[in-house]
Amino acid sequence: MRNKVISALAGAALLMGGAAAAQAQDALARIKEAGVMKVGTETAFAPFDYIDAGDHVGLNMDVFAAIGEELGVEIEWITLDWAGVLPGLEAGQFDMVAGPATITKARMERYRFTPPIAEATVALLKSAKDDSITKPEDIAGKTIGSGHATAQLAQLEEFGKTLTPAPETKDYVSFNEAYADLAAGRIAGVANSLPNIAFVAQQRPEIFAVVAPFGTKTYFGFPGLKDDDHASLMDAIDAAILKMKADGRLGEMQQKWFGQTFDTPDAVTEPNI
Amino acid sequence: MGFDFNVILSKQDALVSGIGMTIFVWVVGTLFAAVIGFVIATARRYGGVIVDKALTVPIEVIRGTPFLVQLFLLYFGGPYIGLSLDALPAGLLALSIYGAAYFAEIFRAGYQSVPPGHVEAAECLGFTRIQIIRNILLPEMALLVIPPSVNMAIILLKETALLSLITVPEMTMTASAIGSQEYAFVEAMVLIALVYWVLVELAGLLGRLAEKKLSRYRLAKA
Amino acid sequence: MSWKLFNLLLEASLMTIFVSTVSILIGLFLAILLSAANLSGIRPLQWFAKFFISFFRGTPLLVQLLLLYNLLPVVGIQIPSLVTAIIGLSICTAAYQAENLRGGFEGVPTGLVESADMAGFSPVQTFFHIRVPIALRLTLPALINEAILILKASSLVSVVGLIELTRMAQNLVASTFMPLEIYASAGLIYLVINLVVATAGRQLERRLPGVGGK
Repeated sequence: MRNKVISALAGAALLMGGAAAAQAQDALARIKEAGVMKVGTETAFAPFDYIDAGDHVGLNMDVFAAIGEELGVEIEWITLDWAGVLPGLEAGQFDMVAGPATITKARMERYRFTPPIAEATVALLKSAKDDSITKPEDIAGKTIGSGHATAQLAQLEEFGKTLTPAPETKDYVSFNEAYADLAAGRIAGVANSLPNIAFVAQQRPEIFAVVAPFGTKTYFGFPGLKDDDHASLMDAIDAAILKMKADGRLGEMQQKWFGQTFDTPDAVTEPNI
Repeated sequence: MGFDFNVILSKQDALVSGIGMTIFVWVVGTLFAAVIGFVIATARRYGGVIVDKALTVPIEVIRGTPFLVQLFLLYFGGPYIGLSLDALPAGLLALSIYGAAYFAEIFRAGYQSVPPGHVEAAECLGFTRIQIIRNILLPEMALLVIPPSVNMAIILLKETALLSLITVPEMTMTASAIGSQEYAFVEAMVLIALVYWVLVELAGLLGRLAEKKLSRYRLAKA
Repeated sequence: MSWKLFNLLLEASLMTIFVSTVSILIGLFLAILLSAANLSGIRPLQWFAKFFISFFRGTPLLVQLLLLYNLLPVVGIQIPSLVTAIIGLSICTAAYQAENLRGGFEGVPTGLVESADMAGFSPVQTFFHIRVPIALRLTLPALINEAILILKASSLVSVVGLIELTRMAQNLVASTFMPLEIYASAGLIYLVINLVVATAGRQLERRLPGVGGK
């Protein structure tokens, strides 16, 4: 019996030693050694990540395929509901997050963002048949949906406080459900970033229309961890994105998925929110 | 990583309203489910063979498919057939229908447990059908149906967590929002797991008390 | 709805079947261990089993899965979504199966256990060769029932990143805007799988010999 206990303890010690040895390398080195970078995202954020007839497609797939090439690694995708993605990053379930996430002051305290890859300013999607909303202020007193645990929802709530009567907000597990509810007529609008709703409205012009943005100008970046362990990885990803931006690949991808290019800064600037 | 429950507890207003919503949909949904289930079981008993067989199909369909799929079908599919319910009524309806299918089976077993002689005796005494149900069948089956009913109520409490997926602001929803905003996701989940646990244990306790009370009643009668 | 969409649902249902089957089997094994703990007469083991069963039966699977997925890495355990899903479902069903088995163990005739003792069986031998097979046979209907519950509960594992039948349906609804047809089809697939399990269970029950001279 005692022998068993001792050998179990020895085994546990060995395992922990192994884990410690793995920690000696930093995240970039571990990823390169494994040949795989794990990226967490949600797949209900067209045109960044979405499922088209069963296949995961979108701008993020293209951008990360290129980042993977630059780093010499494969990309492994882990898809969750958005509310679980940033907690998953902190828990260490993946090396970084695609998303992308709106760059905000609060998030910058917590995460390190890549250079912006698109504009994230919040606008409204409404029903194409709805004439009662022509400007953002028209949502006063109406019910507007947004994504659960998103910066877009937070901005909608902030904006709502300036209106009387304040609009009612509903948070959906993903934006897809919010779009479906707008189509079903349960809500009057969906607040999401301009590239997202422009894409949805362009896919279904007979159902949806875009209302001008109400939010302050913000950008989308890919969030990763701030610690020393992930510093060289984030440096390498930043470099890959800037390289793609310089040689025009990022612009081509934006054109492909948004139908337009965005003039984004090369480095994360002080966010407005 | 240290656990910090204070950030979660600082949002206690939202948390309390989420817990309140959970208890509301749970209690109302369970009551509806039990009543509908009882009506179904009674219709099957007195409605003849055709009603009995016809009701078997929906019961088996509901028992054979996940609650989540039923919920999505009702909430997201409903508007396409003109049934556009808000999240809360849709959630309550889905929960009631789901629970009713199980309660119908619980009450069916209850009806079967009552010796036919008791019913016949009451009939001879000129009891009406309603009187028989109220004075003979229900009291006699009570002891048998309470444990599975409490069990079902507990299952329904846990299913209410899924209503978060159609925007009902119950406690799983509010806790995950607070957890994400305050970067304390694990703490938020631990906290609501404890709340569910307490509610479940309370329901179990109430069930056992009711059982005890009734069994004394039954012994006295024997 | 096109065949292509239906086929995607069918493919995803293979994941549902796989995850559920593995979880039910692991859960059964864990439930037997929990029962052993309960019957061991060792207090701390009994307390642990009691706590385990009460907690996992007392909290929603959705919350358990979210907790597991975010908690394990914090304590240094890195596992892929598939494994997290299986662990989550296995632990949850183990609690329920242990509770079912409790009834089964109570139904094992004392005479059998006593004669095994006299025949020189160790308590462990008696447990695995006498008690477990009889308890399993006695609770087979409950086990089949639990299998169906877990098949349905597996619709939640997408919250830890696994794409199974329900998540595939959600994804397809997002790109086609056909919730009625797609969720109804997903429901139909669940129903067929569960009918097969229920029928197979009844057949199995009929073929196995009864216990206790019934």
